[in-house]
Amino acid sequence: MGRATWAVACSLTFAMGLAGGNQRVLAHHSFAMFDTAKRVTLAGTVTAFEWTNPHAYIELDVPDEGGRVKHWSVELGSTSILMQGGWKFKDLKPGDKVSLILSPLRSGETGGLLVQITLPDGRVLGNGPGRGAQP
Amino acid sequence: MSRRTLLAVSLCAALDIGAVAQTPGAPPDLAGVWAPYRGGRGADPALAPPPPGPAVLKPAYAEAYRARRAAEDEATKRGEPLGTAAVLCTPYGMPRMMSVALYPVEILPRPGQITVITEAFSEVRRIYMDQPQLPIGDVAPGYYGHSVGLWEGDTLVVDTIAVKESVLSYQNLPHSDQMRITERMRLVTKDILHDQITIEDPVVLEKPVVYTLAYRRMPDYKMVEFVCENNREYIDEKGAVRMRIREK
Repeated sequence: MGRATWAVACSLTFAMGLAGGNQRVLAHHSFAMFDTAKRVTLAGTVTAFEWTNPHAYIELDVPDEGGRVKHWSVELGSTSILMQGGWKFKDLKPGDKVSLILSPLRSGETGGLLVQITLPDGRVLGNGPGRGAQP
Repeated sequence: MSRRTLLAVSLCAALDIGAVAQTPGAPPDLAGVWAPYRGGRGADPALAPPPPGPAVLKPAYAEAYRARRAAEDEATKRGEPLGTAAVLCTPYGMPRMMSVALYPVEILPRPGQITVITEAFSEVRRIYMDQPQLPIGDVAPGYYGHSVGLWEGDTLVVDTIAVKESVLSYQNLPHSDQMRITERMRLVTKDILHDQITIEDPVVLEKPVVYTLAYRRMPDYKMVEFVCENNREYIDEKGAVRMRIREK
């Protein structure tokens, strides 16, 4: 299995974990407004990275084939949960080019829940796996 | 805390015969940060929390509770989960604050008081040690109520009253102003803590609800700030949770 295939498998496994135990990862609301069975892949330019609670957000400008830009708001976990997944507050900044996978809002609006992102330095991060292995 | 223990504490205070008798030796060391321990793969099943007991409501409350749960399930299936107080960043309060997702709690004992700070929403509760509990009705109801504690051998027993009726209880159960929460906190190993929680409510519950939370010690963990400053979730006119997106 190649690296890319593993990445997809890992992201799917993680997503199933989210769907099955939503209260365990995000404290304050259900995931049901996101279609966690769907995956949307976006490539674009970060316009803001908000390292905040109860959630962090990535704001992303995504050009389509015709050159028109759509703006997306991408929800992440809380800062604590993200740190447990390897994130740092300075991992993104405006102007960064990234590609990411999200579960879109069921409403059809241009927003979603992050599944996985490839950072400009090539690192691949999820949306916080929880607090690691149990002793 | 049993009524008998409470009575004993009250009598000791009234008769001014000194502090409640302590087990010889220092109490167990609960100081530090504790993360939820749920067992699972690789975990010692003997250390995981035992399964919770049933919640049996009085008939006057059971149907409304069942209907609410059914409505929540139905809304979630539709992809329009119903809003809760937490969506608006309202604190969880007691007893739910003791178990929020994967977030740890920090226990800070000092003479006369044990303070508990949660990472999620930075909630704070104070447990006043070796004091008689106040009568229900003499304390203004709040999110955390009024807690008194004492050591019974190696077990910290905490009695909590006066949680606001608007603050939903375990599994979003309703409760009355007569709710009483008894916690029995005990180290099952040096680094695994169990908190057995008993919820009594003679108005709402047919019998006490009993469940146990387990925690593991996180010696090097630094609690992360959690201020609810960027809450883009809101509850729409139908009661469903929505996320605000930005135009740009």
